[in-house]
Amino acid sequence: MSDLFQISLSALQSFQTAISVTSNNIANANTPGYAEESVDLSNEVAAGGLQLGIGNGVEVESVNRAYSALAENQLNTSQSSLSALTSQQTLTNQIDNIVGTTAGGVSTALTNYYNAWSTVANDPTSTAARQALLGTAQSLAQAFQTTSGQLQNLNTQINSGITTDVSQINADAQSIAALNAQITIGTANGGGQPPNDLLDQRDSIIANLSTLVGISTTTDSNGAVNVFIGAGQPLVLQNTVTQLTTVPNQFDASQLEISTATSQGNVISNSITSGDLGGLLAARSQAVTPTLNELGQIAVGLTTSVNAQQNAGLDLTGALGANLFTTLTPAVTASSKNTDATSASAAITSVGALTGDSYVLSYKSGAYSLTDQQTGAAVAFTGTGTSANPITADGLAITLSGTPASGDEFLIQPTTNAAGNVAVALTNPSQLAAAGALQTAAGANNTGSATIGAASVQTPSNANLLTPTTITFSSPTSYTAGGNTYAYTSGGNIALNGWQVAISGTPAAGDTFTVQPGAAGNNQNALALAGQATLGVVDGGTVSVSGATSDLVTSVGTVAQQTNTAVTAQTSINTQAKQTVQSISGVNLDDEAASLLQWQQAYQASAQAFTIGNSVFTTLMDSINGTYS
Amino acid sequence: MRITQGLEQTQFISALNSLESNIATNQNDISTGLAFTTPSENPAAAGSVNELDQVLSQSQQFSTNATSANSSLETESNALGQLQTQLQSLYSLTLEANSGTESASNLSAIGAQVTQIQNTLLSVANTQDGAGNYIFGGYATQAAPFALTATGATYSGDTGQAKVQIAAGETVATGDNGDVVFNQIKNGNGTFTVTAGTGNTGSGVIGNTSVTNAAAYDGKPYTISFTGPTAYSINTVPPTTGTYTSGQAIAFDGVQITLSGAPATGDTFAVDPSTNQSIFTTVQNLITALQSPSSSSTGKAQLNNALAGVLNGLTQAITNTGNVEAQVGGRLNAITTAQSVATSQQTQLQTSISSLQSLDYTSAVTTLTAQQTQLSAAMQAYTLTQGLSLFKYIQ
Repeated sequence: MSDLFQISLSALQSFQTAISVTSNNIANANTPGYAEESVDLSNEVAAGGLQLGIGNGVEVESVNRAYSALAENQLNTSQSSLSALTSQQTLTNQIDNIVGTTAGGVSTALTNYYNAWSTVANDPTSTAARQALLGTAQSLAQAFQTTSGQLQNLNTQINSGITTDVSQINADAQSIAALNAQITIGTANGGGQPPNDLLDQRDSIIANLSTLVGISTTTDSNGAVNVFIGAGQPLVLQNTVTQLTTVPNQFDASQLEISTATSQGNVISNSITSGDLGGLLAARSQAVTPTLNELGQIAVGLTTSVNAQQNAGLDLTGALGANLFTTLTPAVTASSKNTDATSASAAITSVGALTGDSYVLSYKSGAYSLTDQQTGAAVAFTGTGTSANPITADGLAITLSGTPASGDEFLIQPTTNAAGNVAVALTNPSQLAAAGALQTAAGANNTGSATIGAASVQTPSNANLLTPTTITFSSPTSYTAGGNTYAYTSGGNIALNGWQVAISGTPAAGDTFTVQPGAAGNNQNALALAGQATLGVVDGGTVSVSGATSDLVTSVGTVAQQTNTAVTAQTSINTQAKQTVQSISGVNLDDEAASLLQWQQAYQASAQAFTIGNSVFTTLMDSINGTYS
Repeated sequence: MRITQGLEQTQFISALNSLESNIATNQNDISTGLAFTTPSENPAAAGSVNELDQVLSQSQQFSTNATSANSSLETESNALGQLQTQLQSLYSLTLEANSGTESASNLSAIGAQVTQIQNTLLSVANTQDGAGNYIFGGYATQAAPFALTATGATYSGDTGQAKVQIAAGETVATGDNGDVVFNQIKNGNGTFTVTAGTGNTGSGVIGNTSVTNAAAYDGKPYTISFTGPTAYSINTVPPTTGTYTSGQAIAFDGVQITLSGAPATGDTFAVDPSTNQSIFTTVQNLITALQSPSSSSTGKAQLNNALAGVLNGLTQAITNTGNVEAQVGGRLNAITTAQSVATSQQTQLQTSISSLQSLDYTSAVTTLTAQQTQLSAAMQAYTLTQGLSLFKYIQ
């Protein structure tokens, strides 16, 4: 008889538990990271074994979580990729807005600047036209500086993102380690009942961690989870944590890198490719820096070509033109890990050969090696790094102050900071070199048919460059110039005093030709400077400075578009993974409603069994009472 | 597939976000009228628009350059017109002086008029444009290029010719230097000159000269020497000799020279290849000839010969000025053509830019309507499915 009560009681208790679990599921239907729980019931065997095959009621073996480690891992991985892309997207969209359709205003300013030279060419002695040109040059410099400054600000933004991410990663790692300790104890003491709440909590922290950085996990037999980041660097092992820190880049202290220790030796930035942190690092190396480099390349192309043409002309005072823009030189920084004080410097030898990339020069075991920082490829070079024989490659000449220690490295950035440094060097409008340095003329009384071409400046530094020279033909086959007699060949170059000119045709004896400094009304150099609007300068001299701004707009737009597309694609992969996890671990309210009814009915039935047991017992008692009465 | 209410909720919200963001982008496009406002919306078109904008702006600058060149050339054209008028006046005055009937006082009155014109010519040669630049100085625009001297005028300009760009690959000269306009003028008939010897005692007067066979003329200096009143000899190889008849042409080596009057024995006439002679030298020669009239037949012949040289010089100058005027006209035409080409090019560029950048309103509005329908449908579907719950039926 006590069996009947025992059985009913066990059922009532078990079903009450089941109803509680269901209610708890309903209560946590919207709790992130909560996994649906279910009761595991089993037949309770009587102490003396089954009697006539009847058990001793029901018991709750355990309350289990609906959980698939595989699905969770897939979700975490896809979440890491999505976070990386989302943080990249934020930055590429900002670059997209900064550069915009006019390369940050550079292309508009550039056209105004070139047009201003045309206006100067229309009236080379007009101070107003020259003043206007200086104004447009100033606006152009401003446009470069502003755009570069806005892009540099993104680096600051990335740095603070990295700092925040690293501190959150450390906090999450601490929490996981602490939960590991509790779960290990809980599992050991639970007698087979898993510590579900703690597991849920840990899973939710791991999910959060995977939005910050890509991770991989292993689970030990005692229930503890080990977390690894990057190329397998342990973040959490059982209940110990390896803290991450940020350290300045060995070359550029303004850029933060991730390290597993405070020393430079353990920088792991390169192996972190996913999660918000991976996205920030990728955006910096693949979007911000390349954009700065490309903008800088335009700046270097512009200033170098303009200055060269200015130097080849005469200003209003009759002097050779000075640089209109300040000269942009490549930035060279020694690694903070270098053990030697050797310094390096670099100069641009050919604007057309510049790639827009930065380079790392390493010295190891007596030999230099040069690596393209963007592509990671080794770059062929010539020279030994001395000032007489500099290391030359890709339009650069690198000179070292001595022999560095083995293992020393230098970063050469030919264009990264160039756009931010564009500045107008001239203040006086009369210093603009609108006139050609030299003009040529045939003598008024020449009787031969020879003609003289335009003179070109070969050596601007020649002290006698601007000395007027007369070329006199003593016979149709020889001429004297600057006190010396030379043989004449039609079409051949005549070089003197740093200039070069060609005379062709048949001169007569006594014919003269003059080469003299350009007069104030000469506008040849202004025309040449205006003509630079379409002159090939960068990319091997095939693309004009204006054309390069269009290329920049397209490349920035393409990167942003690609990122947007990748985010859309990754979002649907992530949604898929979420659906899978939810279909396994999520709470479906209709399910719970059905369970609730099921358990309610079972509870009611068990209670009924109890009532029946009671009535059976009463019947028995009554019969006994009747016997003795 | 097991769907949970939490997932449904999240998915609905993210779908809602993406729909609303699409609508916002579309709305922004419609309100700005642009098909894209950032390069990422259409990278290739953004690059092209950037490029086309620059080409357009450059083309507009070319139009500005053309306008500026046009005004410089108009200034030059005016100056050349004035020059032509003055040269014509000089020509008439010289003809008048050469008629042989003018008295010494008349000649001196003509001389005064010529001196007046000489000053006008100088001011034409030193014409300045609106900005104060001397238009006939070549590149040397800052100082007056011409200054009168006792024998003509000096030219301190240069032979430069400023050009401006009026189209891609097309430049036009904005003027001509004074050397070309005033100095580079051949004397005589343009090929050779005939000059009476300064010691001539007869009254031989130089008439028409011409080249009859350009291939036979070798450009060497020759002298026609009168060995008697009716006999002459020319130092060609071998020497050419002939009988002189007044008014009849003397021909040798492809040239023909008409002399008239009575040359004396020993009189010479030099035949030299033409050299450049400045307009100012020609005018000075005229003034000098008019200052020393003589009533003797020899003196009259000298005056006639001098005036014949001046007339030749003026004819050449008038031709040269006409040539320069024709060139200026040609340049003005080129500018007009370039400007009309530039205008149509600019229209075309604007059309291209607009076709790349301007919004297709019809399709944008259609898309917006479709997006709105989609959004309201999604909202309705959500509220419908949210109503489905087993709990509603558990009483």
